[in-house]
Amino acid sequence: MTAPSRERTSAVESRGVTPGIVRLPGRSLLRIGSLSVQIRRRSVLVAAVLLVLLAVASVLSLSLGTPYVAAGDVLRSLSGAGTPYDLVVLDLRLPRVVLAAVAGAAFGVAGTLIQSVARNPLASPDVIGVTQGAGLAATVALTSGAAAVVVGPAALAGGLVAAALVLALGARHGLAAQRFVLAGVAVAFALKALTEIVMLTAEAIDGQRAQIWLIGTLAGKGWTEAAWIGGTLLLLLPVLAWAGWALNSSALDDDTARGIGLRPVSRRIALAGTGVLVAAMVTAQVGAVDFVALVAPQVARRLVRAERPPLVCAALMGALLLVLADLVGRRLFAPTQLPAGVLTAAIGGPYLMYLLLRGRRRSS
Amino acid sequence: MLSTRDLVAGYDERTVLDGLDLELPADAFTVIVGPNACGKSTLLRTLARLLVPRRGAVLLDGKAIQELPTREVARRLAVLPQSPLVPEGVTVADLVGRGRQPYQRWWRQWSEEDSSAVDRAMALADVAGLADRPVDTLSGGQRQRVWIAMTLAQDTEALLLDEPTTFLDLAHQVEVLDLLHRLRVERGRTVVAVLHDLNQAARYADHLVAMRAGAVVAAGPPREILTADLVREVFGLDCVVVPCPVTGAPLVVPALTSPTLADPAARTPEPAPAGAAAAPEASSPTGSTGGTPAGGATALAGSYPSEGH
Repeated sequence: MTAPSRERTSAVESRGVTPGIVRLPGRSLLRIGSLSVQIRRRSVLVAAVLLVLLAVASVLSLSLGTPYVAAGDVLRSLSGAGTPYDLVVLDLRLPRVVLAAVAGAAFGVAGTLIQSVARNPLASPDVIGVTQGAGLAATVALTSGAAAVVVGPAALAGGLVAAALVLALGARHGLAAQRFVLAGVAVAFALKALTEIVMLTAEAIDGQRAQIWLIGTLAGKGWTEAAWIGGTLLLLLPVLAWAGWALNSSALDDDTARGIGLRPVSRRIALAGTGVLVAAMVTAQVGAVDFVALVAPQVARRLVRAERPPLVCAALMGALLLVLADLVGRRLFAPTQLPAGVLTAAIGGPYLMYLLLRGRRRSS
Repeated sequence: MLSTRDLVAGYDERTVLDGLDLELPADAFTVIVGPNACGKSTLLRTLARLLVPRRGAVLLDGKAIQELPTREVARRLAVLPQSPLVPEGVTVADLVGRGRQPYQRWWRQWSEEDSSAVDRAMALADVAGLADRPVDTLSGGQRQRVWIAMTLAQDTEALLLDEPTTFLDLAHQVEVLDLLHRLRVERGRTVVAVLHDLNQAARYADHLVAMRAGAVVAAGPPREILTADLVREVFGLDCVVVPCPVTGAPLVVPALTSPTLADPAARTPEPAPAGAAAAPEASSPTGSTGGTPAGGATALAGSYPSEGH
């Protein structure tokens, strides 16, 4: 009975495993001084391609419109060489493109964090109540005749309160994936109902303004909103650097995670907390363009072929998606502008469907 | 190296372990056995600090494990939980690499030492050839070896396993237990496992812990403590204990529970050997390596009427 195992042992020994040859498949090690970071080679490739596409989409967005500005002039304006189009490119279009990129990236980051904690590709800020919290607060502000400057902060507060409620409800059992999602769905539905009530009882014109806010649009927004979102991301950069690494273990069950010396519950709370903070901030600034948060991480994950959404690529994917959505929304029925929120779903949805179909064919 | 002092642990309202004192020997293969819901998994999870005790403490080299930093504990003690969740799409090398977590930081994610530890672990568990395969495409036996490799990559003195042979066929069960045995003998690791099969426990354990209703009934080398009386006390099952024909370790054979189970041909012959084998005291491991199959069957048949209830 012991004979087979002895044979196998000697087989391993005779195979001659040279020490130190194990590299994690598909990963490279980046060393800078005492820093050593694992990087998926495919992530680098995907990130590079996404960056190029993002640059192309941004230039396109700066050049298309009335008036049309040739790409060469756009680049000259951007480099500060001075062209007759400086006003159009730098003052009218650039703020909106930058906002689209920054907001898209933030949605991508928020979606990645929330989906990883929820272990559910369908989880996004609007599934766990953040969007509805922000939406309710914004709707109340817009329909009660409060000053326009109040809307953003009110929405941020609303989103954070809703998120805190979801985390508190979910955390009672260690923020287990299912409980987190269930708590989120419950809070989201309750808040959505309240929003509808507020909207229906308000003046029609206020109700419509609130409706547009809820769909999410970049029209009439620019540097201020971009600065708020960008500032939040920048402040959270150390946390995000940690999160990129911590997400690696998010797929392990709690006992296994504890066994290798992790604290899965506090880790989940930190990751989910960061995610909802980013989501609340960006939703407060641009409204509920949150389909980006659902689709960007999943598309990025499939492009990288990783087992979980990659943080950097999801951010770039979100940026690209929102820049494109805003561009198409602006130009498709020009001069009528479609809110970016409608377009992200229209572009991202079919692409995700395509990836799902392709993935299924490969696996079968 | 591991011991418990006045340990009280359980889930929600249910207290499973109530004031348990236990000493687990170092450099030994300890197997914990007992009927379902006797608290053996709870004990293992508490020993591995996966479950926080309500009272008392688990001591790792004399220090309360709950008060040690969890990363430090993870460098000294690895645990394989019962049926861990297999992450989708993660490759074998990747999963085994997670075992290096207690040695890593986000700014120091991989070192040469990590590489060689993963390498050694995969060779030891014989999964080196599967390094690039996604874990969720492997068979049950292969998966279990991958999980064990992950715990080996942790490079700990002690290894705790909760029913590592469940869902495996007999050949794979033996394979996993042989691996644990090698770890103890060749690498001097302390191994603690919860097992269901008494005979496997007797075959591999240096130290056997028999539990019932949250308390330890007996602890010691299986050849000294595993008797028919113990099995009756712990499992409420009548049995015959004979020496295993291969290892000489005690072999537990349940008593005949229904006359229709016995082979009539084997039941007819002379009753002389039956009387000798039915007495558990007589089945000392130093004796001859078991009777013939016919003798064994007679022993079962013989024990049945006298143990009836």
